[in-house]
Order: sequence, then structure tokens, then C-alpha cells
Amino acid sequence: MADGPTTRLTCQDVIGLLVDYLEATLTEETVSAFERHLEICPPCVAYLRTYRKTRELASAAARAEMPDEVKARLRELLLEQLARKGGGRQRGRSREERTS
Amino acid sequence: MNPTDADVAERLQDVELIDRLRAGEVAALDSLMARYSSRVYRLARGITRSDADAEEVVQDVFFTLVRKHDTFEGRAAVGSWIYRITTNTALNKRRGKRFEAEIGLEELLPAFKADGHRAGDPSFLLADWSQSPEQDLLSTESRRLLSETIDALPDHYRAVLVLRDVEGLSNEEVAEVLGETIASVKSKLHRARMALRERLTRHFGPNC
Repeated sequence: MADGPTTRLTCQDVIGLLVDYLEATLTEETVSAFERHLEICPPCVAYLRTYRKTRELASAAARAEMPDEVKARLRELLLEQLARKGGGRQRGRSREERTS
Repeated sequence: MNPTDADVAERLQDVELIDRLRAGEVAALDSLMARYSSRVYRLARGITRSDADAEEVVQDVFFTLVRKHDTFEGRAAVGSWIYRITTNTALNKRRGKRFEAEIGLEELLPAFKADGHRAGDPSFLLADWSQSPEQDLLSTESRRLLSETIDALPDHYRAVLVLRDVEGLSNEEVAEVLGETIASVKSKLHRARMALRERLTRHFGPNC
């Protein structure tokens, strides 16, 4: 794909540039050519919109929060490790221990 | 404070916490846990797609921190180091296990004619479900579909997707974590997103 003021992009070019377009890393000339293509190509407009929405939905779907009980089990195991490693419990106390 | 100053400050705090952990201070462990355990779990869960495996990964990562922190020399940002060992441990967990067949990505990528225009049914090519009501986009069925498709992505594609789109790392950071080129990261990210988009478009259909 030649990059210049009269560059004409195909649908294949536009879809191939989506990551860079959404990250705003394209040159001004390529952005102009990209947006000129969108003006005349409703399927690519639909693709861009649904691609952007997919990113948003996938981000939410793949996000998992750590359950409190997992956190508590982890802390207990690590305290044991620290104690085994050299008396970690004696050298410092946690915030909860200090305030209890 | 600009982002660079913030990064430097965070790195110094991390190095100090590691030093205090080296001295056996429990409060340093609590601070490191508060800072990183949720991120480690989220990333591990995102890659392994299993609560039990994610818990094992988070334990392995923090055990490494406690047992081998004396080998950590503070040269790399603690955050990057933790992302790297979490990703590697999570990918190792997946290795050697039998999972449902991975999806054939090629079938979910857009097809093109010789002149570079999209090929396919025009009504499908014009399908734009992005403005559909939230209750449809977030319905149990569409969330299940999305979750199943993410599960079925090849492991490294899913790792890139989680690191980029959930954890918000840059392409450069993801490349460093995975030991891949930036071009490879961008390609995997794009193909993973396109595969998910295709599944959702088939689900919502042309009459959305």
C-alpha cells in the first residue's frame, strides 16, 4: 500500500489497519485515506463499530476479580513461607496485626 | 507529577518493598499483595480460564517472590517481572492439559475478493449490532458466547488479548512479557478481536 495524499485503501487495507487506527498510530495521510474509505463503505463502518464494541465487551468478559477467600488463603500460605524462611512473623507485623 | 515521574516513584516503592520483604517484614508482603495480587489473579484467570488454576498460579507467583526475591535485582520494574512470571506460569498450566478444541481462527476472519473488497452476504456485511441495547449485548447468552470463544482462542492469542484489553499494557510491554515481536503481538490481538467480533455478529445477526 503506497502512502500518499491520493492513496486509496481497499476494505482489506482498512481492516488490516484497525489496530493502528484505534491506537492513533497512523500517519495523518493514512488516517485521511482510511476515513475517505469509510465515507464510501458502509460495511467497513459497520466492521469498525462492531470491532470497537467487541473490544469493550471482551475486556469486561475476560476480567475476573480475586475472591476474598482466595486472597486470605494466599496470605496464610505466604506467612508460613516467610516464617519458614527466617522468622518473618517476628520481624514485622501486618497492618491488621498492628491494629488488632 | 507526569507519568514518567509516577513510574519512577512506583518502581522505587516496589524496590523498597522487595528489600523489606528480604528482611522478612510481613507488612511489606501485605503491601505487595495489595498492589499485585488482584492483577496477578485477574491475568492468571484470564489466561487459564479456571478458578482453581488461577489460584495455583497466584500462589506460585508469590511463592517465587518470597522464596527467590533475593535473586531479583531490581533492574526491571517489579510490575513487568510479575506480569512475565504470571503469564509464563499460567501458560505452563495450560500446557499438557486437554481442552476443548481450539477454534479455527481462519474461519472467523473476514474474507476478501481479489480487488480487496469484502466477500460475503451484503446484509451480513452491513450488520451493525454495536448500538444494540445493553441488555442484549450483556445478556446471559451473549456473555456465555463471548466467554466460550475467549476460552477457545489459542493460548497465546488469549494471553495477548488479556494483557492488552484487560490489563491495558502497551503492545511494547506485551511483547516484552511474552518474548515476542511487537508485530506478532499486534497480529495476534487483531486476529483474536476479529474472531470474537465474527462470533458476536453471527449471534446478533444481520437484523440487529
